[in-house]
Amino acid sequence: MDNHLKPPVLLLLLSSIGLITLPHIGHLPWALSVLFFGLLLWRLLGIWRPRYLPNGRVVFALTLLGIGLLYKQHTEGWGKDAGTAVFVAALGLKLLELNKKRDVYLVSYLAFIVAGSQFLYQLNFAMAAYSLLVCCMLLAAMIAINSGQPQTKAALRTAAAITMQALPMAAIIFALFPRVQPPTWLQMNNRNQAQSGLSETLEPGSINRLALSPQLAFRVKFNGELPPKNQLYWRGPVFSYTDGTVWHMSQNDDVIHYQDKLTFSGKAHQYNLLLEPQSRNWVYALDMPARFDASLQRNGNYQLTSLVKPGEAAAYSLVSYPQYNTGYITKTEYRENLQLPDEPSERIVNLVKHLHGFEGKPELFIQQLLDYFRGQHFSYSLQPPLMENSPVETFLFDARSGFCNHYATAFVYLMRVADIPARVVGGYQGGEFNAVGQFLEIRQANAHAWAEVWLEGKGWTRVDPTTAIAPDRVEQDINVEMQAKTGAVSLTPIETHQRAGVFGLKQAAQLWNSLDYHWQHWIVSYSRENQSSLLAVLGIDSLLGSVIGIVASMGLAMLLLAGWLLRTRHKPEDPSVILYRQFCKKMAKAGLVIRPSEGANDFAVRVKTQKPEIADLIDEITRIFVRLRYHRSPSRHDLKLLKKRINVL
Amino acid sequence: MMDNTLNNLLAAANQVILGKDRQIRLAVCCLLAKGHLLIEDVPGVGKTTLSHTLAKLFGLDYQRIQFTSDILPADIIGSSVFVADRQQFKFHPGPIFKQMILADEINRATPKAQSALLEAMEEKQVTVDGHTYPLPEPFFVIATQNPSCHVGTFPLPESQLDRFLMRIELGYPDHRAERELLDGRSRHELLNDLPVQVSVEQLQALQLAVNSVYASTALLDYLQAIIAFTRQADHYHCGLSPRAGLALLTAAKAWALMAGRDAVIPEDVQAVLAAVAGHRIRSGAGDSEAIVAPILTHVTVHEFQKVQHGQH
Repeated sequence: MDNHLKPPVLLLLLSSIGLITLPHIGHLPWALSVLFFGLLLWRLLGIWRPRYLPNGRVVFALTLLGIGLLYKQHTEGWGKDAGTAVFVAALGLKLLELNKKRDVYLVSYLAFIVAGSQFLYQLNFAMAAYSLLVCCMLLAAMIAINSGQPQTKAALRTAAAITMQALPMAAIIFALFPRVQPPTWLQMNNRNQAQSGLSETLEPGSINRLALSPQLAFRVKFNGELPPKNQLYWRGPVFSYTDGTVWHMSQNDDVIHYQDKLTFSGKAHQYNLLLEPQSRNWVYALDMPARFDASLQRNGNYQLTSLVKPGEAAAYSLVSYPQYNTGYITKTEYRENLQLPDEPSERIVNLVKHLHGFEGKPELFIQQLLDYFRGQHFSYSLQPPLMENSPVETFLFDARSGFCNHYATAFVYLMRVADIPARVVGGYQGGEFNAVGQFLEIRQANAHAWAEVWLEGKGWTRVDPTTAIAPDRVEQDINVEMQAKTGAVSLTPIETHQRAGVFGLKQAAQLWNSLDYHWQHWIVSYSRENQSSLLAVLGIDSLLGSVIGIVASMGLAMLLLAGWLLRTRHKPEDPSVILYRQFCKKMAKAGLVIRPSEGANDFAVRVKTQKPEIADLIDEITRIFVRLRYHRSPSRHDLKLLKKRINVL
Repeated sequence: MMDNTLNNLLAAANQVILGKDRQIRLAVCCLLAKGHLLIEDVPGVGKTTLSHTLAKLFGLDYQRIQFTSDILPADIIGSSVFVADRQQFKFHPGPIFKQMILADEINRATPKAQSALLEAMEEKQVTVDGHTYPLPEPFFVIATQNPSCHVGTFPLPESQLDRFLMRIELGYPDHRAERELLDGRSRHELLNDLPVQVSVEQLQALQLAVNSVYASTALLDYLQAIIAFTRQADHYHCGLSPRAGLALLTAAKAWALMAGRDAVIPEDVQAVLAAVAGHRIRSGAGDSEAIVAPILTHVTVHEFQKVQHGQH
């Protein structure tokens, strides 16, 4: 082994490589993870016990083993998983072969590739910060190896400085480098990783499952003031068809061509929506979106969908009006939204009749029904009893306890019995305001279901039966701790969880979320469109222009850097010289100008012949000055004395 | 104590060599700085007298070696002679084994003979037939040189000139000094009567003291500005070498010591500059003072920190 690979340097190199590979454990096959970290530990052991390191034959056998593992684990073909696995396996095997400097370089570059491949899986801020940190460590190891000094602390400091210096350059390149569409194999398997979110069907338990998830669904930043909480309905899929238990989305996509024109009124809200990776191309807009990006479209159920493939974080700019009128209802919609799985039971017909459902006054019936929910000891619960057969009936007459989707489906069911077109709308409600970042965080726990009825003259109108039972669910941030204690209502557990922390922790969490928001907003969702608008602002409108822009800005950066490095460093001027110059100025007024090359003593001699009357003073000044400037350990006292004497003149 | 002994010595020297106060000071300065001295001038201006005077005043063994065109290295450093009764060679030391050497008219000898002397000066030892013989301590060479325009001279190359710490010119005495010279006693008599002013031990102590003279950062800045000037300016074909810079500093320290200071000031550097740098930087101009004049006018003493410094 070369003598430049001293144990502390090797330790730094190996630990940085270990840390770089650590996040890959989550998606590597376990056998490969075991192989890699086994090899790493073996190499670590080799630092102190070099004789335990394997010889060439063992390495060859291990390589065969690695190839076998790769082949076995990735039979389905090539993708980012297989590619990453190849690099990780190669890195691990090469660790046993750190003989020459060249090997160290190879290992370092492999490690950098492995660090980079991490971003194929996770793009959040924490991971970016982590990668930067571990790459900095790896850089430090390379510095220590190349400088031949095993001073890892100094190397770490240098690496940190280099990384910091590289960041502005990286930012420029990031902003200006032409953005290419990633090859398709890079986009593969993304579905696995996108969060579950709302599903295409609504079942009795589908939303309370989400209610336990603190996972972020999307973030919204309003330009201007926030709408009131009871208007924060983020519209998602619309469920029209039911078999009595499961609700399905409408399949009639072409109603949109026959629908009445949407009219909006009231206050418009302009906002930016930052969507986390989703498994479907649904975009949750504030009910009702009026204007949206060209990459989105609104379907016949007034739900926004994205035209591009789902699976990546995306940012959209939208305008919504909480007040709108959808106008008349098409025949298809009418038929669809009165559909019932079977004849309603007698109990249900009696209930509808009791609530004045058959009197042709939809508004009255809605009011009656909501009052019924309010008055008949219905309760809101995350853990309602199982309702397998005819869940609507069980809920209405036996359980009387349910989550939002129970209320919404039961409500819609009863409306349809009363011949009022109604449907269930899924989506999210509310959101937590992040005071640090001034944006709303909508989590999976905010998933919600509500009802929509079609009323003459008003069009589709939102009715949220849950508000009748638990108005707090939508009205305000309720005191969750209190309610959790009494067990009365168990609401969004994520908020309970967050409130459990002390105030400072919540602040910190908000700060972190805000950082992550800006990371997502500015870095991850920086797309071709963003870039072209940025370039347009800069006056560059083509790829060639952007290349020229990069070259020019890099050249400028280099020039600035060179200027900064080459700028002359003035030494701080000797205070005695400053004082002596005052003396020279005074003498110059008297016509005695010191020559540039004239020493103080020579000058004193010349001055004294012209001004014998102050000869002593000049001698003293000169003596003190020479003592200050040329003698060992000049004293502060002398400096004061010199000042005094010069002032006497 | 040192001041007085040195002052007495200088006063005594001035009695013998008239009107050459500055040259005597420089010669003593050179001796204190452990350097060798080159005196360049026409014959008869008192070069020999000066060296003899210094030897007398410091109580040093003195030997004059007259360089001629046919002098051989062995004539200078000595040779091994076969002793018949002992059946072996015995080394007969040459005239160089003395504390003070006057190498008279060094440029009349062939380069071979010149280099024998100059090598001994540099190494402070002599090697003959594989045996090395150390030269005495202190060892001081004063070489005289006729101006190169004189017939029958082999001018010393630059590399050899560099071995001399200083080169001085004596010049003709002024009118008053000349009259005194003509009027007074013979120099030879005066020389014989000269008492030893500084013992060898005292001289060695003084030479040690030179090293401990302080040179401040400001002074070193000035010194470096001078060196940089000689390397950059158009006035000179080649600038001062690092060895020349060291020589300049040592000479300035010795000069400061002679002035009774324990720190070097720019005036010290300026005082020795012509003698130390004159023969080391090649220039069209003739005498040393004229050669260094541009340095003294262009390199500023108190404002040189305004000169751009590179990054440290």
